[in-house]
Amino acid sequence: MQLFLEQLVNGWALGSLYGLFGIGFGLVFSTLGILNAAHGTYASWAAILGYFSVTQFGAPFPVAIAVGVLGGGIVAVAVDQIAFQPLRAVKAGMLGALITSIAFSIILDSLAGFATEHQSLAFPAGTYPRQMVDLGVIKVPQMQIITILALLVCASGIYFLIQKTRIGAAMRAVGWNETAAALGGVNSRMVILLTALLAGATSGLAGVLGGISTSNVSYALGEGLMLKGFAAVVVGGYDDIRGTAIAGICLGIIEVFVAQYISTSFRDGFTYIFLLAFLVARPRGLLGSVNFTRA
Amino acid sequence: MTQFTTLTVQLRKLCLTAAATGVLLATGTAGAQTLAPGEYSIGFITEITGPLAAAGVSYWRGAQQAAEEINAEGWLGKGATLTLIAKESGSDAARAVQALTQFAADRNVVATTCCIISPVAGALRPVAVSSKIPLVLYGATRPGLPQLPFVSSVVVLPGPSEVKMMEQLVKAIKPKTVTFFVNADNDAFQDRFKAAQKTTEAAGVKTSGVVSILSNDTDFTAPATQAMATNPDLISVFTTQTPAVGIISALRARGYKGPINTSDVISPPAVFKKAGEAVVGVPFPIQFSADVSSTKEAKAFVASYEKKNKDSPDTYSAQGYTAIYYIAQALRSMNGKPTREALADALAKIKSVDRNVYGGLPMIDGQADVQNSMLVTWSANGKIVPWENK
Repeated sequence: MQLFLEQLVNGWALGSLYGLFGIGFGLVFSTLGILNAAHGTYASWAAILGYFSVTQFGAPFPVAIAVGVLGGGIVAVAVDQIAFQPLRAVKAGMLGALITSIAFSIILDSLAGFATEHQSLAFPAGTYPRQMVDLGVIKVPQMQIITILALLVCASGIYFLIQKTRIGAAMRAVGWNETAAALGGVNSRMVILLTALLAGATSGLAGVLGGISTSNVSYALGEGLMLKGFAAVVVGGYDDIRGTAIAGICLGIIEVFVAQYISTSFRDGFTYIFLLAFLVARPRGLLGSVNFTRA
Repeated sequence: MTQFTTLTVQLRKLCLTAAATGVLLATGTAGAQTLAPGEYSIGFITEITGPLAAAGVSYWRGAQQAAEEINAEGWLGKGATLTLIAKESGSDAARAVQALTQFAADRNVVATTCCIISPVAGALRPVAVSSKIPLVLYGATRPGLPQLPFVSSVVVLPGPSEVKMMEQLVKAIKPKTVTFFVNADNDAFQDRFKAAQKTTEAAGVKTSGVVSILSNDTDFTAPATQAMATNPDLISVFTTQTPAVGIISALRARGYKGPINTSDVISPPAVFKKAGEAVVGVPFPIQFSADVSSTKEAKAFVASYEKKNKDSPDTYSAQGYTAIYYIAQALRSMNGKPTREALADALAKIKSVDRNVYGGLPMIDGQADVQNSMLVTWSANGKIVPWENK
């Protein structure tokens, strides 16, 4: 029972990273209409910037997180304005944006490789919370609790922002039809920038938290999150933050339980069977809108 | 008497003639044993980008160090120098094959050297054989890769030293149970794990669990939980570098205080820089270490490497260094302008690599073989030191 509970928490924490990453990925797709292959690099860069803020400038843990989050957001805005804005101006469509995002993914990965000298780095011990918290039946690492809480706070906050505020209404309007939103008085350029910033920041949070808790800060960090984050968005529903968060957690738990009770070799296979099953049985995902389409 | 004198004179003449002929022949032979002056190019397939870039840089630096020494000392003979031509593969088999094909097309390239990982080496082997170009493997650890005369390996296979390590640990720690970590997607590590498991089980140590991970995994909290739940007396990690470091860090982070051992994948200084105290006291076998190796050649290599690179050489630098000396030794033994086929034959005939940092490097059927491995560990101040059971 103790092992079951420990692995449940392990899966929940891992899935929270997938969920956090998936939220940003889904935001960009539902609002900006971009299937962004470069999204994983935001997480890598956030972790790298957070790492250097600690090792070069002695930043404390909360500052390192803030640097990572802000860094991820800034990289996302820069990519959007350099890569996607010109395409948007000529209405190049989703395929053009996808190809451009692949190119930017390669460029940003290579630059991240140079920044880390192609090494896998780790936050030095003592620069982040690393005690075990005694919950009676089981002990849980502090970083897992922080990661789980981070998803809960971010998912709730962004859901509230999108569903209950004027900015959120503007984001949904731009996601439905940018031209119509502009005619309705929405500053679509600002909405696009805000969406890119928010998406980059949440992926950045996933990157820096993942980099700390897995002791792996490298240019390849985002790659691992990319496929699982994408799966979380598909399973959860493209246009609902809550679905992505729940699906991310489920994916993490399935992954850990398959490795524990069946076999590591089948782990990724089960994840994609889960994904495929949703695509066939419920294409709109857990909580996605029935009539969600990109305008 | 006159006849006797004449006979003596004739004998003397005969002896003198024979001696002179011998001297001439010997001189002639010695002259023919000289490599023709010129520049000899070696195609080096680098892996300084991609997933194994950190190790790839070490191999490349070690090889450059060897080439510079050989040229500075005139080791190949008067007027003969060595040049390394690099082509990058990024540990990708298709790119490595492309690089080898290009080297084969360049007639200035007399030999090639490649590969950290065994699948890439396996992909190159038939290409080297069909192109009739010597290929020296500098990093791939799967047994059976050499195919003489064209493919040989200076990589000391880790299996025997790991078996020796397990025997030493069983004797020192006296565990009743052991749990293993192994790469589910890496045949070479599967074989190494099986050999280690066979050793422990033969010594009466029960296997309490086998936890499989995948090479691209980064989160090892769940596998660490799984292993700790088996409550072992010893945890043995037989995985590639990134998972090994991640597993050991996760085990320590979750509060596992028992003994852990692993392979030489944690020997590079970058690993200590990354993992720090998590790897302190974790025993692993090694053939070369800048801190521990004490032969004259090893010390000279360490000193010149540190001077040039402002960093200590690791086991990978030593392998890159050895690969170039192995090729140079074959070139040095040849006369005139060697063909690739003749160079391959010369490489196949080498019984031991003369210049090495291991204190002796026999070559058996084109495969390096070192028995004198050391059991070492990282100390708290970041030095590799002999392991002691504390």
